[in-house]
Amino acid sequence: MSTLTEVRIAAVGDIHLGEDVRGEYRKRLEGIEERADVLMLAGDLTRHGTLEEGRVVADELRDLPIPVVAVLGNHDYHSDLQHEIAGELRDAGVMVLDDDGVVVECGGTKLGVVGGKGFGGGFAGKCASEFGEREIKDFVAHTRYIAESWKMALKETQADRRVVLSHYSPIKETLEGEPLEIYPFLGSYLLAEAVDTAGADLILHGHAHKGTEKGLTPGGIRVRNVALPVLGKAYAVYCLECGE
Amino acid sequence: MEAPQYVAARIQQALAEDARTHELGIHVDVRGDQLFLRGQVSGNDQRVRLGEVAHEAAPDLKMHNEIKVVVVNEPGEDEHLD
Repeated sequence: MSTLTEVRIAAVGDIHLGEDVRGEYRKRLEGIEERADVLMLAGDLTRHGTLEEGRVVADELRDLPIPVVAVLGNHDYHSDLQHEIAGELRDAGVMVLDDDGVVVECGGTKLGVVGGKGFGGGFAGKCASEFGEREIKDFVAHTRYIAESWKMALKETQADRRVVLSHYSPIKETLEGEPLEIYPFLGSYLLAEAVDTAGADLILHGHAHKGTEKGLTPGGIRVRNVALPVLGKAYAVYCLECGE
Repeated sequence: MEAPQYVAARIQQALAEDARTHELGIHVDVRGDQLFLRGQVSGNDQRVRLGEVAHEAAPDLKMHNEIKVVVVNEPGEDEHLD
């Protein structure tokens, strides 16, 4: 039996499910095991972050024939029930990342996935810094803490291939199409800097509905904005070569 | 008379903060006595709710709800990252 020569990663973000569309997304996942080895969800799985919506998402993802890894997004935090929503998803068999990592076995390949919600702050040269009012310092410090957590998790993850899964964007190229004025609320270069330092093969994010699918970090790591409105399809599939 | 930019900002804020909608990405334009809503949402119910909340925020304006429901197509071609 040969091992896989590539790992096929299905990815999507911003599915924003609620009771009124229950069952609709699940239909789109039928046959996913023929197309992909793992499904990754890049946050904003709900609309308002209610437990009821979280349960709809959990039911849509329950007992899929391939592993599912997810992060939450800002919408999933809105009702301060992010831990409860993550619990519902975990009960349904979904691996939920919260600034940590997991290793998924895909054929003979160990696929490391590191990430979490991420946060904003802006991009190099046009970003907030830890200066001035406490509120601004807290805002930037939150992103910096997340970036450091990802760097540590990447360094600790022993895997053949490594993917970073985020809701917020690490680069501005995949935001093209969004108003420039809101870039600081869509992502932060600190996330890319951390991943470039620790190394990864691919970064997936959502959040920017009007953005662009493809971009690169300054260090040359491929970035894909998989927000559902950007993809226009149930999920994209990215194939990573596994080598010998 | 309130400037149209402030009216649009107030409507956009209502769409983001009202518990019925919480939709952040809707483009709101006010031109004279007309209100235009544009953007994409995940379902028709959400589109209708957005129209209701916008109307409540500016009941004197004639509303044009041009929001589209995202069409979720079948997954297409894979991308090979070599």
